[in-house]
Amino acid sequence: MDTISKEIRENILRISHHSGHGHIPTCFSIIEILRSVYETMDHDPKNPDWVERDIFILSKGHGALGLYCVLAHYGYFSVSEVYSFGSFGSRFGCHADRFKIPGIELSTGSLGHGIGVAVGIALGFKLSQSSRRIFVLIGDGESNEGTVWEAAMVAANLGLSNLTVLFDHNCSQSRCLPINQAVDKFSAFGFDVQTVDGHDLVPLKKALQSVPDGKPRLINAQTIKGKGCPTLVEEVFAWHRRSPNGEELITLLGELHATAI
Amino acid sequence: MRRQFKDTVLKLAEKDDKLVLLFGDISVYLFNEFKEKFPERLLNLGICENTLISMAGGMSSVGFFPVVHTITPFVTERSYEQVKLDLCYNRLGATIVTCGGSFDYAWDGATHHCYTDLELMRLLPGMEVMQPGSKKEFDVLFSRSYNNGLPSYLRIAADEHGLDLPVEFGKGVVIKETPGAKVSVLTAGPLLGNVHKGCADLPVNLIYFHTLKPLDLQLLSRFVDTKFVVIHDAFGLFEALTAACAVKAEYHGLPDEFCCYYGTLEEIRKQLGLDPAGIHTRIQDAL
Repeated sequence: MDTISKEIRENILRISHHSGHGHIPTCFSIIEILRSVYETMDHDPKNPDWVERDIFILSKGHGALGLYCVLAHYGYFSVSEVYSFGSFGSRFGCHADRFKIPGIELSTGSLGHGIGVAVGIALGFKLSQSSRRIFVLIGDGESNEGTVWEAAMVAANLGLSNLTVLFDHNCSQSRCLPINQAVDKFSAFGFDVQTVDGHDLVPLKKALQSVPDGKPRLINAQTIKGKGCPTLVEEVFAWHRRSPNGEELITLLGELHATAI
Repeated sequence: MRRQFKDTVLKLAEKDDKLVLLFGDISVYLFNEFKEKFPERLLNLGICENTLISMAGGMSSVGFFPVVHTITPFVTERSYEQVKLDLCYNRLGATIVTCGGSFDYAWDGATHHCYTDLELMRLLPGMEVMQPGSKKEFDVLFSRSYNNGLPSYLRIAADEHGLDLPVEFGKGVVIKETPGAKVSVLTAGPLLGNVHKGCADLPVNLIYFHTLKPLDLQLLSRFVDTKFVVIHDAFGLFEALTAACAVKAEYHGLPDEFCCYYGTLEEIRKQLGLDPAGIHTRIQDAL
């Protein structure tokens, strides 16, 4: 884990402690996925409405705090603003509002919506003969929703090769409805599937830079909920939606910075 | 009216290359001419209503005017959250055009009856809701709404009310005004035909709406001193009226139970007291 990923995670911990909000383990699961997307796709933090930009949608909207901290890192706004997270009057809600925050393309929160919207965007780009691309991050838990598979069928049937689905495979539903053989399932649905270490920027970016051949693409990012803090990993369900108190913050920051770079 | 849908979108698509049809495996043969002329702009995506709506939101966000078309209950009741979030909350324009509202598929039974659609759509912020009762009304209302950047809902009916009325979005029409009337009858959509017959010899006012949201409150304000009787084979009009203002109002339409009959639209309406004779009796009771 490099210093940037640690810095982003530290911001998440401190903001969650300050605000009392946030899904920390899921945020820690997606940091490198988000970084790889924002370091690959065409976008301009100084001109977020640039008409030729690629589009990213965080479909698992409860990871919003992670996305805010990543967007702040790439210059969309100052991270100090995010400390208002979840408070009345803040523009940084626990689920993001596209009308309030630059870089947010779709207001999400209810699971299973982002991929369908992304398929529509991909179709729009295709009909417009545009070279723009659409990236959507979904969770394996989110994929309990039938809408994910509806949209996947349609995307494959339409041959939407401009669509990349990033699959945060952190085994979040292992206690109730795990998605077994996710790779085989998406392959069977007609996706070009690549499996990578979801915490390693090199294979993530390599997968994103590859050119799919007439199919939508799924990047199966194998991740760990709470990655970076052993306490969060070991007690993942207890920490699903919990903010650290002062003592716990010190412990978690210590664990984070003790992780080898 | 479904043929009018075809004619209207064909006419509009000639001049507007952003109009795209997303079909849920219905009306496909009727639109053969559209498909031949604009093969990329009619997509029969299959039986996946939730995805139809989400995709419409996505297409709208990149500059298209998507029109989603399928059977009423499946795209309104089943896909309600997609309409709520992917269209309304995200303020993405799309037009939903359904067929099979109320008892237009009478013979298919309660799984295919749908009388909640208008009310469900009305409850969503930003949504425009229309129930045209004639081909002319469909043509005018759709043409005006499909590209205005807002989510819109229109229901295609199997029958028509048979009257030639002025059509302006958001405006009700006074069909009959009786001096000194104590009762004003309100209705919407093709049921107007039966209501018109049912109150022909009664001393009432008759007011018609093809637009349920926004409801023409300015027109209604002329009649607030009368008792309103809403006669409607759906929910939506009565709720719109009573939510907007404190008035004396009664509803005649759906009971609080499933309609477990088959048969024809006319037979179901008669069973519910929504044929001209049943309507006449109900208005007499109100008088």
